[in-house]
Amino acid sequence: MRVSDQMIFDRAMVDGGAARTRLDEATARASTGVRVVHPGDDPAAAGLVTAERVRMQRLEAIASAAGRASDELAAADGALSNVANALARASELAVQLGSEPYSAAERAAGAKEVQGLLASILSELNVKVGNRYVFGGTSDGSAPFDGLVLDAAGNVDAAATGVYRGDANVRKVEIAPGVYQDASVRADVALRGAGGPPAADVIATLAELANALAANDRAGAAATLGRLDRSITQLSTARGQAGAIMNALDTAVAANDAARDDAEKRIATLADADVIQAASELALAQHALEAALTATAQSFKLSLLGKL
Amino acid sequence: MPDLFRVLTTGANSLAAQTAAAATAAHNLQNVNTAGYARQRVNLETTLPAEVVGDAFVGRGALLGTVSQARDRFLEAQLPAAFGNAAGSSAAAGVLASVEVLDPEARGGISHALAGFYAALTQLSQNPSDPGLRQAAIGAARTLALSFHQTRASLEDARAGVDRRVAADVDEANGLAAHVASLNEQIRAARAGGGGEPNDLLDARQKAVDRLAELTGAIPVPTSEGDVSLFLAGGAALVTSTQAGRLTALPDPAQGGHVGLQLTSGGITTALTPGGELGGLLSASNGALRAAVDGLDALAWDLAAAVNSVHQAGVDLDGNAGLALFTLGSATGPVTAAREIAVNEALLADPDRLATRGVTGGVAGGAGDASNVLALLRTSSTLDPAARLSRITSDFGTAARSADAMADADAGLKQHLVTLRASASGVSTDEELIELQKAQKAYEAIARVITVTNQMFDTLLQIK
Repeated sequence: MRVSDQMIFDRAMVDGGAARTRLDEATARASTGVRVVHPGDDPAAAGLVTAERVRMQRLEAIASAAGRASDELAAADGALSNVANALARASELAVQLGSEPYSAAERAAGAKEVQGLLASILSELNVKVGNRYVFGGTSDGSAPFDGLVLDAAGNVDAAATGVYRGDANVRKVEIAPGVYQDASVRADVALRGAGGPPAADVIATLAELANALAANDRAGAAATLGRLDRSITQLSTARGQAGAIMNALDTAVAANDAARDDAEKRIATLADADVIQAASELALAQHALEAALTATAQSFKLSLLGKL
Repeated sequence: MPDLFRVLTTGANSLAAQTAAAATAAHNLQNVNTAGYARQRVNLETTLPAEVVGDAFVGRGALLGTVSQARDRFLEAQLPAAFGNAAGSSAAAGVLASVEVLDPEARGGISHALAGFYAALTQLSQNPSDPGLRQAAIGAARTLALSFHQTRASLEDARAGVDRRVAADVDEANGLAAHVASLNEQIRAARAGGGGEPNDLLDARQKAVDRLAELTGAIPVPTSEGDVSLFLAGGAALVTSTQAGRLTALPDPAQGGHVGLQLTSGGITTALTPGGELGGLLSASNGALRAAVDGLDALAWDLAAAVNSVHQAGVDLDGNAGLALFTLGSATGPVTAAREIAVNEALLADPDRLATRGVTGGVAGGAGDASNVLALLRTSSTLDPAARLSRITSDFGTAARSADAMADADAGLKQHLVTLRASASGVSTDEELIELQKAQKAYEAIARVITVTNQMFDTLLQIK
């Protein structure tokens, strides 16, 4: 083939330019570690990366929300634990002061302690996490239980004490895309048996115990023992439910974290450059450019111009 | 009988021929880097008729015959299409490669905004009465709306950039078409003058034709008069002998106001689908870029409709029926929805208006009821906006990759043909230096003939 000067220069431009472009691309891949920068680099991978990034961020949010729900349940469980402890103490008082040796004054003091326990229980049940009461169902803005109310004689007004102001709803939280989990326990069920199977009314029982002790009614005090035991069992059941939900939420957090990690790995597999391959391509591109430049320089030297 | 005067005369003619050869070699060397230049060669001819001396023919030296161009007509017939295809695919690939707004790794892109919106709803579902989470959800919705705007605006900017390039190309193409028509006329006149082939005019026309092929995909057709007419895709004539048509770039309502082309030729104006760079630009703008814009508009429209439908079924923190979460301005259908989508001003002003509470049996849940937020979250699976965005991205990527592959293939073919043309028509300095040497040696020899003839004259004159 006849070789004209234009061919020599064109070849230098085209081949040198192509070698330099390949070097630039290889340098970008090696330095950024990213293989898919533009959708045109790998259309299928670019589309998948887009969807995986949306999914990854969603999984992070789900894990975060489930974690916060679990924290709320931990606070609820702590409050129920304190309520159970108070009930255990009330039960001790009922056993103790329902016996013969104690005087009216001692029973009156016991009545005051039970009133204190009741007030404490109601305070525990009005626990807040952040902006909301955790035992009010979905009624976040107001305390779910009224406080201790005494009548003119200093006795517990059972009808007005601990009235539940929340609703019967159970909060739900998303534990996986499209999968929802109960995220609260119904305190009205745990304490008063509302909406559940026949059970003890914790507040009414404590009010009855306090009033019996104040009235030095030994038999009346002793009569609350059975209901106090059932109340403790009822509280244990609620705590068990809370624990089960917390376990489910903690599992969901771990599962979402794992799924998020998987999504991140998939994105890395789809979009990230293989480091070894990128380094190898970079070295190859450098050699190719060097060879192209050397060949170009040599071809420029070979001319009659310097020899005539 | 030949005389010495005849020898001197033929020597002078031969010197002129060798000078022309040297001048042509010099002309070639001077145009070694001129685009479109085809090397020229002198064709020296023996001067006829030879002088008859006795029974013999005595030659009368050499004279300049013609100066011709080295062109491969078969090869050059393939070049316009190759130029047009390469310019078209390269322009399309360049336009699509310059769009970064759909890059999967770009931070702050629409995929992040979409993910952020649903992530904020997920966070809100855990505690819907929390003012911070409500504000964050409204903020995420606003970010999503802005992201739709920005993404669409970037794609539209790319299309507007194409419009400007098309307008500039049209101006250049019109100038070149008029130039080719003018050159046709000049070449006719030069040939009519009987001065042989007007090689440099032919080069200038070839150069203009090549560039027009690149710009418009016009195919040259030689006429019997020696003109070159240029025809666009569909047979529309851009240049007919000495008459040039005129291209016009006008806003095309069918393309959302982006430019379309018309050709006015012979008093008739027709819509035009060009090839070449113009074709590549319009194909990128009206193809992949428009598809991405349409996809975004449809996604914005459907997302707003789905979210609003759920949101309006809920109840806000104050017990009011839910409003539309997204407004769509003047959009009455998907067209321009991605540009018009915005968060309802009432919700921006008061995040309590976010309808997070569901209604069961006609009774709204409490402030902590997130059933309507969960219903909003379900739109992420029923509508699956992430999958639709993924499709928009991969469809755009497929178009960009395809254009890039076409550009590589077309550039390869063009380069191959250009190399073959350079092989046939390009100037070689080595060859021209040799030609110069040849002419110089011949010139020296002829000069010696004249010197010797002169000495012979002197000898003759010294005879007494």
